[in-house]
Amino acid sequence: MASNAAVPFWRAAGMTYISYSNICANLVRNCLKEPYKTEALTREKVHFSISKWTDGKPQKPTIRSDTPEE
Amino acid sequence: MAMAALRREGRRFATPLISPRPIAAIRSPFLSEEDAPLGVRSISTQIVRNRMKSVKNIQKITKAMKMVAASKLRAIQVKAENSRGLWQPFTALLGDTPTVDAKKNVIVTISSDKGLCGGINSTAVKISKSLHKLNSGPDKENKYVILGEKAKAILVRDSKKDIELIITELQKNPLNYTQVSVLADDILKNVEFDALRIIYSKFHSVVSFLPTMATVLSPELVEREAESGGKLGELDSYEIEGGETKGEILQNLAEFQFSCVMFNAVLENACSEQGARMSAMDSSSRNAGEMLDRLTLTYNRTRQASITTELIEIISGASALEG
Repeated sequence: MASNAAVPFWRAAGMTYISYSNICANLVRNCLKEPYKTEALTREKVHFSISKWTDGKPQKPTIRSDTPEE
Repeated sequence: MAMAALRREGRRFATPLISPRPIAAIRSPFLSEEDAPLGVRSISTQIVRNRMKSVKNIQKITKAMKMVAASKLRAIQVKAENSRGLWQPFTALLGDTPTVDAKKNVIVTISSDKGLCGGINSTAVKISKSLHKLNSGPDKENKYVILGEKAKAILVRDSKKDIELIITELQKNPLNYTQVSVLADDILKNVEFDALRIIYSKFHSVVSFLPTMATVLSPELVEREAESGGKLGELDSYEIEGGETKGEILQNLAEFQFSCVMFNAVLENACSEQGARMSAMDSSSRNAGEMLDRLTLTYNRTRQASITTELIEIISGASALEG
């Protein structure tokens, strides 16, 4: 990793480009004025359940809910 | 009561004249002599009436479901069509290269959580399985990442060992980019891949959806492919601005491409699901209507037959008295 940009820092923190861009997007959403701000924030709700499988056995599913930035 | 007794009495003599089971002529499976309560000799129309009532209720339900699917479809169709603009630049830049040879394939099968939507889920599963077979080899690895309950139910049965991740309950809230990108992030963190192959049904119209595969290559594979001057040879003619190296750019691009393609795929699939549900519900309410028509005909014919019998009995009784 080289260069002077901010790239290495979030990459070194174990983030992917997606989570980095999501945090940025959320910051932009928070900059909106009021009626639009709540609208934009309520629109982007996260909810799903994810379960990892190892050797044909399901692990315990974790539910991701309302955590817009991760 | 007197009428009923008369009818029952008369039936004994009338049987040779009229067919004992007039409905048998049009082959209705719902009304047979075994179904009638014990000791009743006349044909009971009760069963047909109950059957008609239940068919009518089912028709009402399927009609309502069709309406619901139609209104959901309209909302989601706009979103899906708008989201197509997200992956198109990526295809222009990185190309769509399903044929690139990759060691670690991850097949992302997208299906719905709910049923009653025709064959789109089983089509997606079928395509995924054949892709799995197509890519299998001695030093190759294929894994499934499954979205939605329906594909899970099918794939758990025979491909248990290859399942890596299962994601469900995606459509609790209206689909949005944040949700799908968090999901894409989770997938990227949990699986190792050389190529991600996303299987979904692309929405064309309410009655046609094509099973589609979108391919997202890992940055290393893209770089290798670009250097060897294969299908991605043109990538080297782009200039890179800023301080990042090509590898970094490609990694960021691949990640972002995956989340965009996933977003579009999830939307297209949801759209196809509603369309499929709409047409499935439409044909089932039509079927219920046809069945109702047949049952009504049966019912009326039987009723008419018993009325005719009664009339014959009365008239012949009267003429016997006169004679």
